[in-house]
Amino acid sequence: MSAITAPRRAGAQRSTASVAGRVLLWAWLLGALVPLVFMVSTSLKPSGIAKALPPKWLFTPTLEHYQSVLSGGSGTSVGFDRLLFNSVAVTLGSTLLTVALAVPAAYALSLRSFRPRKALSSWILSTYMFPPIVAVIPIFVFAGKLGLVDTYLVLIVPYAAFNLPIAVWILRSSILQIPYEIQESAMVDGASRFVTLHRIILPLLVPAIATVAILSAILSWNEFLFALSLTRSAAKTSPVGIQEFTGMFGTDWGKLTAAATVIVAPILVMTLILRRRIVSGLTFGAVK
Amino acid sequence: MTRTPHEAESVRRPVPSAIPSSADSSRSVPPARRAGRGRPHRWSTKLAPWALMSPAMLVLMLMTIAPAIYLVWSSLRNDTLLGSGGRFVGLQNYQDALTNPNVLRSLLITGGFVLAAVTVEMLLGLLLAVPLATQSRSNNLAAALMLLPFAVAPAVSAMMFKELLNPNYGWIDHYMGVLGLPAHVEWLSNTNTAWIALIGLDVWQWTPFVALILMAGIQSLPKEPLEAAAIDGASTWQTFRHVTLPMLAPFLAIALTLRTIQAFKTFDAFKILTGGGPGASTEIINLGIYRVALQSFRIGAASALAMVLLILLSLLVPILLRAVGRNADPEQA
Repeated sequence: MSAITAPRRAGAQRSTASVAGRVLLWAWLLGALVPLVFMVSTSLKPSGIAKALPPKWLFTPTLEHYQSVLSGGSGTSVGFDRLLFNSVAVTLGSTLLTVALAVPAAYALSLRSFRPRKALSSWILSTYMFPPIVAVIPIFVFAGKLGLVDTYLVLIVPYAAFNLPIAVWILRSSILQIPYEIQESAMVDGASRFVTLHRIILPLLVPAIATVAILSAILSWNEFLFALSLTRSAAKTSPVGIQEFTGMFGTDWGKLTAAATVIVAPILVMTLILRRRIVSGLTFGAVK
Repeated sequence: MTRTPHEAESVRRPVPSAIPSSADSSRSVPPARRAGRGRPHRWSTKLAPWALMSPAMLVLMLMTIAPAIYLVWSSLRNDTLLGSGGRFVGLQNYQDALTNPNVLRSLLITGGFVLAAVTVEMLLGLLLAVPLATQSRSNNLAAALMLLPFAVAPAVSAMMFKELLNPNYGWIDHYMGVLGLPAHVEWLSNTNTAWIALIGLDVWQWTPFVALILMAGIQSLPKEPLEAAAIDGASTWQTFRHVTLPMLAPFLAIALTLRTIQAFKTFDAFKILTGGGPGASTEIINLGIYRVALQSFRIGAASALAMVLLILLSLLVPILLRAVGRNADPEQA
């Protein structure tokens, strides 16, 4: 990108500034990697040297910790394999619900004939401000009364609700970017609104739906507050369970970091797939 | 075979005569769907969008407006989940909250945390965005690496930081010792160092978000003003300060607004790293509400605190709509 490269005339000055910038950039990137290097390398170390100081960099990698946590071995009150299963179930459920709610809503909000679309879009965006801790109190009280504490449902619905603002806004702006002439010509040919939505808009919307699905999957998978407050054991998710690796007798670094790596790995892959669209999505499409 | 496929279809599925059909529409549209659609009824064009909107609206209202209404009601009562209370107490909970020095302190340190973390993230994000915005192969790698902290669940990153900061076998302490800095710091048992750790974790996790927004912003800027500045002989700093930065304002506003809102919602890092300690020195309002509601079960008192937070955050809505909504809305572009 040449937009920010400064003029040639200020060559010497430019190179000092840009070298300093590049040094800062790579220093940051290397520093930022430390927690991840710690996590992955410790998860592969044999138990005996996990906490050795100075940290050992040459060792024969072992998968013993992964085997242990994935087979539900000791560490947490609910087996880690079970926690992962719960996380997968809740993530899938809330992602499907988010998409199922957001697509029709976004379509309605893109219709020019729908007068309150601007006010409603603004309202949906403004709910992003709503702090989850505030919603937790009534949900906790009512889930208790309705016997819903520690079920998947009590996590799936709030997750979908809190993912909706981002989902609706991404989808709406994608629909609005489909030239109106395409919809119009379909309707001139006699297609109903439903058929236009089904045959014309949905196929063009597949990339946006994929982005929304991956984003809501990431946000649901990583969520902590609701899962901590509204589950006990049967529906407990892995981010909550991972705290329990810090026990009375110290922390088993091998198991903790193996579990952490298992939680982070799928999200890391999805993030790298989305790349730029993840930032665009988390800004509601305000940054392209 | 003399009939065309489309004639064959209309023989199989006769079209009701009321439908004004053009010959080629019947090929792509099943006739049953078309009944009554030739000329859309008033009610269907009016009601259809509401019908499409309603499931999403219902869920969203159930999780935002309904809780807010419940909180208004329960904040006026002294309900607990342990059976005591259950009376209407008027504004007592609010009076208790707003005259309690611990609550005021908690609000103050919440504001202080948001201010400190977001300021560092904005400055650092801008410094990183500038070199990151030049397009090159190494920057593709840099942008991908930049995303990594972002993907880590906040609960997991808090656990990793906690272990890295361990005074006995944490890496941070060890390498600080190697560099001749004070070693064996009890990071999380001392208020000042606990704050450094909490803000450091937030900066680690969220600076990339700011940097990537600003990177996209810089890359989208028009070249002409920069070229004009170059012709006028402006220095790098002058160009940046008087040309790039003003043009970047909408992106700075987006990053600042979203980060401020997100920072007010921070919970995981505090809960795991310090739990509000040492003492209550890092108990931000979110932790306070959690403790009163879900550990002491004093729902009435917690509701009043939650209402205070909700009202404070509602003040950010117009900024959110202006900074993010206007830029994200293709209809206004």
